[in-house]
Amino acid sequence: MLSFRPAKVTDLDDIEKLLNAVGQPLSTLPANREALSEKLDQAERSFSGDESLKGQERYLFVLEDLGKKAIIGTSGIDVKAGNGAPFYNYRRDSLFHSSQQLGVHNEVPVLYLSHELSGRPLLRSLCLHPDYRQSDALSLLSRGRFLFFKLHRERFGESVIVEIQGQQDEQGNAPFWDSLGRHFFGLDFRTADYYSGVKSKTFIAEMMPVHPIYEILLTEAAQRAIGCAHPLALYNQRFLESEGFRAGRHIDIFDGGPTLEARIDDIATVRNAREVQIKHTATAMGQPSLVCNTGYQDYRATTTLLAQGLGEVTRLASDVATLLGLEEGDSMLRVSL
Amino acid sequence: MLIIRPAVTGDLGSVVELAKQAGVGVTSLPPIPERLQGRLEQSEKSFRSRIKPEHAYYLFALEDTEKPGAAGVSAIQARVGLDEVWYNYRVSNCVHASSELGIHQQTSTLYLTNDMTDCSEICTLFLSPSARQGGNGHLLSKARMMFMADHLELFSEKLFAEMRGVSDEQGVSPFWESLGRKFFSLDFPQADFLTGAGSKAFIAELMPKYPIYLPFLSEEARASLAQVHAHTRPALALLSDEGFRYNGLVDIFDGGPVVEVFVSDIRCIRESRKFYVVVSNSLKPDPFESGEALLVSNRRFEDYRATLVHRNQIRDDSLLLTPGQATGLQVMAGDVVRATELKAVQAEEAG
Repeated sequence: MLSFRPAKVTDLDDIEKLLNAVGQPLSTLPANREALSEKLDQAERSFSGDESLKGQERYLFVLEDLGKKAIIGTSGIDVKAGNGAPFYNYRRDSLFHSSQQLGVHNEVPVLYLSHELSGRPLLRSLCLHPDYRQSDALSLLSRGRFLFFKLHRERFGESVIVEIQGQQDEQGNAPFWDSLGRHFFGLDFRTADYYSGVKSKTFIAEMMPVHPIYEILLTEAAQRAIGCAHPLALYNQRFLESEGFRAGRHIDIFDGGPTLEARIDDIATVRNAREVQIKHTATAMGQPSLVCNTGYQDYRATTTLLAQGLGEVTRLASDVATLLGLEEGDSMLRVSL
Repeated sequence: MLIIRPAVTGDLGSVVELAKQAGVGVTSLPPIPERLQGRLEQSEKSFRSRIKPEHAYYLFALEDTEKPGAAGVSAIQARVGLDEVWYNYRVSNCVHASSELGIHQQTSTLYLTNDMTDCSEICTLFLSPSARQGGNGHLLSKARMMFMADHLELFSEKLFAEMRGVSDEQGVSPFWESLGRKFFSLDFPQADFLTGAGSKAFIAELMPKYPIYLPFLSEEARASLAQVHAHTRPALALLSDEGFRYNGLVDIFDGGPVVEVFVSDIRCIRESRKFYVVVSNSLKPDPFESGEALLVSNRRFEDYRATLVHRNQIRDDSLLLTPGQATGLQVMAGDVVRATELKAVQAEEAG
């Protein structure tokens, strides 16, 4: 059975193991024990209602395979992108350079440095063990957060954003970075990306070019990478799109990957999830479903089979109820998988 | 004998011939008869009446007294950017530094400016290949400055020249290929021709307005920035000897440098002196090298004339002229002329 729950400081070793197995670095979860431990501490304090993080919580969840006693995935939500500091994006806009006299009409796309998305809820740190890519795990890992949105709707703003990893080659070079950021930072992509996870964000303000960038002056490979997901992230993008996320006009300043946006109330999982009272049953039967308790600090979500029904009472297998910490008559959210 | 005089509409035929020889890169001399006719008329008007500086354009012709017509031309635009918009890129520097990361990066950046607005420009210099000898290029270029010396009130205190930038034999400019072409969708000769032909509105319409970070341009384009075309090196050296200096601006099309000087600092003006004319029938002028030449102007306006004489024709505060030279300069005994060494003496020693 899989359990989706808030991450704890004591998960440090298991998360490190997971990051090593995944291999691909995650800027929001650096494979640096000190930084990672700080992030876990922040996550734990976010769930425990630490005053210093109020309104700026940085939630991190883990997905645990209870059978194997292993952490097989992570996902997170920042209540405010940038966490009080500016959150950087490029906003794509178009200028028209047009001369009637010459019969020239050029659409000139321009990248403007933008802090417009600062303070929006941000989905981040999605990471799944490669062995579980074909399972329901990804769905639970991602949608478990959407159920959390629904339960604690007042904690989050109107719309949520998520950055999809952009294009990189096998050596970890990003064509967008090589044509743009590298000139200003004097660093390769991996190093800059790593710094963005472990250093203060001040260095981005210091190093980032402030003037708008004409896309046509970038290399062709960089232009092609604008708004394009890494092949491994494409599945996640498609999944989020099926939930109602759409690519907006913002891209990542480092790798040019797309930023997707959705109104929280329009996310399919948020819209379709229903609150029901549970009744115990010995064996799970019916449709594959996502279920969660209504907790905050002790929030739990998992997958199970549920009988279809529009009633306010749903039969839930006892072991699942135990996992969620629920007794007969308690409320839970259900949504089909 | 070679004389500098105001160009007249009657020079049209020979000026069109010169324009055809000039080719790409001499933006201000497009081989279009109507356009050149316009230039000549504008110049005639400027010399005839002291019109508003923003419209004043003084075109000079180099004429061999034995071969009527223009063997070369040069001009002064009294003011630029007052009835149109004058664009240059300023080559500037952006520094990005982070003490946390120990990084300090300097990035050359081009800013679109109108910084030369209201300044005077020397332009349209072209000398027929057959006349390129004996300091004629110097005469053609510097006679303009000598004209300014006696009519300072018509000009800005700052004078500049846009030097032709790097391009290959096909007229392909690496700077243009890497920048302008992407915005204008034109070839460099085509764009160059259009500006020379007086259609500048398209620049405002198509030109990128935001600063351009230099690392986005090709290596060839970066290498050519603020460099002059090989054919323009002598002209740059000439202006440099007169005190012109690169001012950090470049041409928006080919990246060629802008050189500027305060008029009062121009070497040939600063070192010039006034002399009384003495006409001598018995004077047999020695042949002279350009290093021995004296540039003489008659200091007039609509009847402006300038020529070269041997420096050994100076007698204290007088200048001896043959009757032919006096006729060429349209002066008589007792008139006051202005004269200066054609070439900077220092430069001659150094060279």
